[in-house]
Amino acid sequence: MMNLSLRLRRPSWMPDSKRMGMTSDLQWLLLTCILLYLMNQVNSQKRGAPRDLKCITNNLQVWDCSWKAPSGAGHGTVYEVCIENRSHSCYQSEKTNTKIPALLPGDHEITINRLYDFGNLISKFTLNEKNVSLIPDTPEILNLLADFSTSTLHLKWNDRGSVFPYHLNVIWEIKILRKENMEIVKLVTHNTTVNGKDTVHHWSWTSDMPLECAPHSVGIRCYVDDPHFSGHKEWSDWSPLKNVSWSPDSQTKVFPQDKVILVGSDIIFCCVTQEKVLSAQIGQTNCPLIHLDGENVAIKIHNISVSANSGTNVVFTTEDNIFGTVIFAGYPPDIPQKLNCETYDLKEIVCTWNPGRPTALVGPRNTSYTLFESFSGKYVRFKRVEAPTNESYQLLFQMRPNQEIYNFTLNAHNPLGRSESTILVNITEKVYPRIPTSIKVKDINSTAVTLSWHLPGNFAKIKLLCQIEINTTNSVQELRNVTIKGVENSSYLVAVDKLNPYTIYTFRIRCSTETFWKWSKWSNEKKYLTTEAIPSKGPDTWREWSSDGKNLIIYWKPLPINEANGKILSYNVSCSLDEETQSLSEIPDPQHKAELQLDKNDYIISVVAKNSVGSSPPSKIASMEIPNDDLKVEQAVGMGNGILLTWNYDPNMTCDYVIKWCNSSRSEPCLMDWKKVPSNSTETVIASDQFRPGVRYNFFLYGCRNQGYQLLRSIIGYIEELAPIVAPDFTVEDTSADSILVKWEDIPVEELRGFLRGYLFYFEKGERDTSKIRGLESGRSDIKVKNITDLSQKTLRIADLQGKTSYHLVLRAYTDGGMGPEKSMFVVTKENSVGLIIAILIPVAVAVIVGVVTSILCYRKREWIKETFYPDIPNPENCKALQFQKSVCEGNSPLKTLEMNPCTPNNVEVLETRSTVPKIADTEIVSPVTERPEGSSGAEPESHVVVSYCPPVIEEEAPTPGADEAGGTSQVVYIDIQSMYQPQAKPEGDQDSDPVGGGGYKPQMHLPVPAAVGDLAAEDDLDKTAGYRPQANVNTWSLVSPDSPRSTDSNSETVSFGSPCSINSRQFLIPPKDEDSPKSNGGGWSFTNFFQNKPND
Amino acid sequence: MKVLAAGVVPLLLVLHWKHGAGSPLPITPVNATCATRHPCHSNLMNQIRNQLAQLNGSANALFILYYTAQGEPFPNNLDKLCGPNVTDFPPFHANGTEKTRLVELYRIIAYLGASLGNITRDQKVLNPNALSLHSKLNATADIMRGLLSNVLCRLCNKYHVAHVDVAYGPDTSGKDVFQKKKLGCQLLGKYKQVIAVVAQAF
Repeated sequence: MMNLSLRLRRPSWMPDSKRMGMTSDLQWLLLTCILLYLMNQVNSQKRGAPRDLKCITNNLQVWDCSWKAPSGAGHGTVYEVCIENRSHSCYQSEKTNTKIPALLPGDHEITINRLYDFGNLISKFTLNEKNVSLIPDTPEILNLLADFSTSTLHLKWNDRGSVFPYHLNVIWEIKILRKENMEIVKLVTHNTTVNGKDTVHHWSWTSDMPLECAPHSVGIRCYVDDPHFSGHKEWSDWSPLKNVSWSPDSQTKVFPQDKVILVGSDIIFCCVTQEKVLSAQIGQTNCPLIHLDGENVAIKIHNISVSANSGTNVVFTTEDNIFGTVIFAGYPPDIPQKLNCETYDLKEIVCTWNPGRPTALVGPRNTSYTLFESFSGKYVRFKRVEAPTNESYQLLFQMRPNQEIYNFTLNAHNPLGRSESTILVNITEKVYPRIPTSIKVKDINSTAVTLSWHLPGNFAKIKLLCQIEINTTNSVQELRNVTIKGVENSSYLVAVDKLNPYTIYTFRIRCSTETFWKWSKWSNEKKYLTTEAIPSKGPDTWREWSSDGKNLIIYWKPLPINEANGKILSYNVSCSLDEETQSLSEIPDPQHKAELQLDKNDYIISVVAKNSVGSSPPSKIASMEIPNDDLKVEQAVGMGNGILLTWNYDPNMTCDYVIKWCNSSRSEPCLMDWKKVPSNSTETVIASDQFRPGVRYNFFLYGCRNQGYQLLRSIIGYIEELAPIVAPDFTVEDTSADSILVKWEDIPVEELRGFLRGYLFYFEKGERDTSKIRGLESGRSDIKVKNITDLSQKTLRIADLQGKTSYHLVLRAYTDGGMGPEKSMFVVTKENSVGLIIAILIPVAVAVIVGVVTSILCYRKREWIKETFYPDIPNPENCKALQFQKSVCEGNSPLKTLEMNPCTPNNVEVLETRSTVPKIADTEIVSPVTERPEGSSGAEPESHVVVSYCPPVIEEEAPTPGADEAGGTSQVVYIDIQSMYQPQAKPEGDQDSDPVGGGGYKPQMHLPVPAAVGDLAAEDDLDKTAGYRPQANVNTWSLVSPDSPRSTDSNSETVSFGSPCSINSRQFLIPPKDEDSPKSNGGGWSFTNFFQNKPND
Repeated sequence: MKVLAAGVVPLLLVLHWKHGAGSPLPITPVNATCATRHPCHSNLMNQIRNQLAQLNGSANALFILYYTAQGEPFPNNLDKLCGPNVTDFPPFHANGTEKTRLVELYRIIAYLGASLGNITRDQKVLNPNALSLHSKLNATADIMRGLLSNVLCRLCNKYHVAHVDVAYGPDTSGKDVFQKKKLGCQLLGKYKQVIAVVAQAF
């Protein structure tokens, strides 16, 4: 606060107060008036002095002090301002302000003396720096530029720093106003320093709205921040506004135009127009309008999405037109990836890279690349292609002489940014040679050639590593690496040795550098035929004597190409005996055998192959074989494509083994081919394209000693066995009433097509026109099968057949390759009259014998029988306890009980005819060895055999062991009666109660047993039926012995065990003649038919 | 002689001077030399008709291909963005004489050819990957060149017209991308409309 004091001079004419004491009232009144006058004078004096001194500074060096002038002060008033300090200094001013130098901190007394005509008015002030305001001068904008393309304002102003005495911080405040109503859109501070001299400052601001959309104004003010200044610091006044505006033409336009923007940014579009805009849209999306000055509108897009190649269209629609612009939203270039620099020829460096993430910007907005090499300072630019692919991102850089290390920087740039990638390479280690061309081959000799090629590039300073691929048609691929010194003229030459004579080679080459980086691509192939050399080996020879034993036929095989070493022109055949050699003939090449007429001396035959260069070493073979007495013929079967032969190692065999083979059906000399096996081998696989399945071949294994061969083994074999193609030819040699004898012939070897393993013989009952054996393998029960594995057996007798019956016979051969075709025949057996007679006589005889034996037994045991069955019954008449009236007892004779009459024994004939299997022949299906031994028929211990029955047996010359398994089925079976008369079934309980193995009365009947049931089942059934069975329905039997006593309380339908009555069943065991049987019609009555269970009937 | 030559020749020139001398004549005088670079085809009118039919047949496809490649909202605002309101397009009178029609056709094809050149150039920069559009534009321009040559041959051979004044559309090179798109679309819309009339007239 400024302390201001006013000091007034008392006027000199003012009366002394001592004079005012005359009268008190008058004096008091007078005094009051005077006082009032004085007060008025004082006030008038006070109003005339300067007051309200204020000081400001804008440069800290000069204070501009101003004060308020008295009201009466007019033109011509002079003020004297004096500063009371050490050096009293005064300043006169005609204005109410004056500039004084800045005062030191502390209070300073300032007197302002108003000088005027009537006197002086002095005002005193105390002035301190704290009371001074620092208000910088209003800044002035030197320039305001608008960059409409980037919507950027560039502001330029002078800080007038020269006015300040020392270094100061200055804060600038800039305001941006938009539209006609001056909306402040930006207020920003900008800090600078002043350092005693004028400096022009720049500041730029990018508008979010295109500058064309609305007028923009800029103002600026400043604030000097002097920490040493203790006064009041204030902002300067705002500078005058500078305006920028786009002067639109009459056409409607949309801004910004063709702008490239980062994906995800926010952007404002505006339409500067005179027409009313109805709507706006970006792509297909409508946007709300923001109204600007006049009809101008804008839209704001947030988080813009990536554009298509042709950009994103932003349009504003008026009533009759659409105006628009295109925005390109994309990405800045990604860091170039996989930057790689290499050279093909050490002349030019090729740098390739992957651009990374697509920028979505194409055409002029696409990324441009610059490859800069820092050591040389050279650079190359990537020429834009319209539709670049990843492969096309490459730049060529010319190599600098004597520079091997290159430091490349690849700069990528697009309107949204830039990126870079660097690589440091030693280019001699990054050589990727081009394809070798102009391959040429020249002979050195038959096993070596020179290869020359052209490899573009200057490789004089490095060594090349090249790979030569050598291919022949027969051998495996070979790769040879060669290291050669690089040359300047691009021509290279190497020698390739260790080749085979007269061989077509295919060469191709690829190269790299010794410090391997990449192989070049393979060159084109170059074929070359090496020159001929003498054959390296003699031909593989064999010899055979002609069938008449007079001529020796020499065979040899053509030399393989790798041994012939050229084109074989002819063969020389010579023979020697006791070191005397005789050249016999020269055979031209296509012929590979020679026939020599030799005696039985042991000659050594030599064969020599000749080509244009020379002759091969001779191949020698002795003309005679070493005899071998111990020779067996063996069999072998191959594996489909070959046949394996093995033998034991024989140290005596000094030269190769030879296996020769031929088709066994060929005539002698039989030779298809031969094979030599080293003498240390013990096995070999003989394979040939000539082998055919189902063809019999003869194989001969020869051992070799001193060029003489000895036959060691003779083998017949098939490469693969097949089924015979013909059926065995068989005939019926003999036919009887119950058997047929069949005889067959061998099948020829050519038609056998395998080793014969046996014959299958099928037979069944059947007529020619009605019966056919169908499905032989289907296991039909009515077909009997006989497997004949004894190959020496040529006949077969089929026994136990029915007389006068037609049989269908089928015979087929089989090998391991399968079953051959079948041959069938129908045979009718003869009538069996002897059997009929026997069948009649035997039962009669048996019945007689049984009757006699029974009679004898009954007679001899009559007392026992009487005691057992007819004991004496006490006469009740003798019983006194029972006092029967005599008249009653005497008058009624039928009331007598247990009157013992003589008992006539019954004749019971038990027909023991067969085992539990009704027809053995019928069940003999699966195994051909199911014949039954005759002794098995007596295996049933409890059977009372009256007439023994022998089951039919198929006679065989070589019975098969194990056939006695069927023996368990030979039991006494009571048959045939039930087929005519149904037996009276015994209650189940009664059956169980009868002990099977008991020695009592045995059943005379047997329930039918299914033929297909096994032996055990048959036995079970037998056990169940082992109890007593009535022989017939007694109701149906009319011939009951009239004298047989009956138990009066016995059931009339059953016959109880122990009954003294029996039935003479003999009359029913021989049934009436079956008139419907076709067999009977055909061949008359047959006793054997009676015993058969005939399904056909 | 020199004096005579120096005085008579200018006099004759002055006597024969008339308005338009020195500027390209719309129609060559009958006796003027009418030379074509290549011998004209024997059946020119047929060729012209075929070429017009070919252009007419492909114009719509080119139009669709073009506005589709420009992105939205072009396909949905064809009336305002691709309307055939090309103000300086050469006129065509279908009921005129053959000579008149040929002259007008020449002007139209020349105009279209130049405009197609602009469009092709712009689209190669703007849509470098729209290869089918480029191919169609090039094919159309090729046919137009052949048609122009044939029309010129016909005019020259039959009507002895060696030169026809032509006008070209606005150069789009300095315009913004949206203007290029819009002008191209309008031009192709106009082309589609006009070529149908012209093809019908021949």
